[in-house]
Amino acid sequence: MADSLPAGARLFLPPYMLERIASAGSNHLRECARHTLVVDQQFRARAGAVILPQGSVKRGEPARYVHSAEQQQALPGRLVRGEGEDDSGDPAVDEAYHGLGATYRLFWEVYERHSIDDEGMVLLATVHYGRDYENAFWDGQQMVFGDGDGELFNRFTIALDILAHELTHGVIQHEAALAYVGQSGALNESLCDVFGSLVRQHQLEQSVDEADWLIGKGLFTERVAGRALRSMARPGTAYDDPLLGRDPQPDHMDAFVVTEADSGGVHINSGIPNRAFHLTAMALGGHAWERAGRIWYDTLVDQRLGQDSDFPTFATLTLDNAERRYGAVSQEATAVREGWRRVGVLP
Amino acid sequence: MSQPPPLTPASVVRLRREGGVAHFPGLSRPRCIHCARYSEAQRDELWRLLSSAESGAGLEEAPGADRRRFCLSVEDTNGTSLWLLTVAEEAVPQELFEWWRQAETQAENGSAP
Repeated sequence: MADSLPAGARLFLPPYMLERIASAGSNHLRECARHTLVVDQQFRARAGAVILPQGSVKRGEPARYVHSAEQQQALPGRLVRGEGEDDSGDPAVDEAYHGLGATYRLFWEVYERHSIDDEGMVLLATVHYGRDYENAFWDGQQMVFGDGDGELFNRFTIALDILAHELTHGVIQHEAALAYVGQSGALNESLCDVFGSLVRQHQLEQSVDEADWLIGKGLFTERVAGRALRSMARPGTAYDDPLLGRDPQPDHMDAFVVTEADSGGVHINSGIPNRAFHLTAMALGGHAWERAGRIWYDTLVDQRLGQDSDFPTFATLTLDNAERRYGAVSQEATAVREGWRRVGVLP
Repeated sequence: MSQPPPLTPASVVRLRREGGVAHFPGLSRPRCIHCARYSEAQRDELWRLLSSAESGAGLEEAPGADRRRFCLSVEDTNGTSLWLLTVAEEAVPQELFEWWRQAETQAENGSAP
């Protein structure tokens, strides 16, 4: 029956029928049915929670597990490299392993945070997710990275700040749990960009003047007219491409974008707090992770930061934390106040 | 949630993918499928795929961040929305993803993906 179907024809088949084709159809149909069954089973199994492996019991040491989804969409996939194991020879696996290590190091060495939950939570990543999958995300328990489509996007592990960005979503989930919508969502995204950028600067030992302040540099193929996903220094200038469109990020509250898309513009309006951090860090000079980063981290873990915090609430808390740590008339407090004033969040 | 209405030649299906680690205006534009350009069998197939996405949609939004989702809608010829569904990309059948991927390039000549 199935062999006589015209080219291009498609059917909606229940699993038992797929299983029959997978065992008795032509070679091509068997392969198609087998793949569909695998995806279907993975999808149906997705509702179950992943049991996380043991984390790190020793503060200062991470527990990394990098898996390969082998172009499927099952999580976490096949374990390829565990903590302390040698390079696998798979660039995506090894980039993820080292990127998670670099991110752990920043949080531990600078802010004394022991992993995502400060209690040694395992750092779980899956690479080679899906086919030509051009995205990276945090699923609530682990990080996931696609290989890119090769047309517009390279593999997503190529950018250290994107690895750190995804891990920081986990940190936020265990702290203020900023709601992923509107201004609180944009703050969530901005914090991930801030610490993503800081991880890269820390790894490269860059001063604020040496850093490029780009997010996702290297992700675009050479066919894309763009430098990166976002620019913290100059939001709205990262790309201008016929297929991707133009970088939509505003750099001031005057240009705040009211939209239902992108969960209320979480990746759009994050340009405003991103620039506030950049301005603060540039005013302070030196290494951004030391003072500007410290103030932002103090705010990230501040019990007063609520799930629905907006830009002014967050800005006021950064200022308060700067004054508490460095003094009310300190250079740091002035830099923070001026940073938020220049993007139109504080008067 | 409810199943999509039957697709007639007057129906227009809109597929929009959004979310992800960045917002790209060019990639998040809605892509239209004008059902008049497709055969009844193809419309039936498209309806089944929409229905499949609906049945795979969870009641709660998936946890995490930077996840992508599809906004699916069926409109009549006047642009009146008859059915609307926002669903995590994991719930979208691969075949429907192919319709989305090729909607802009093949909708004009009426060939199914």
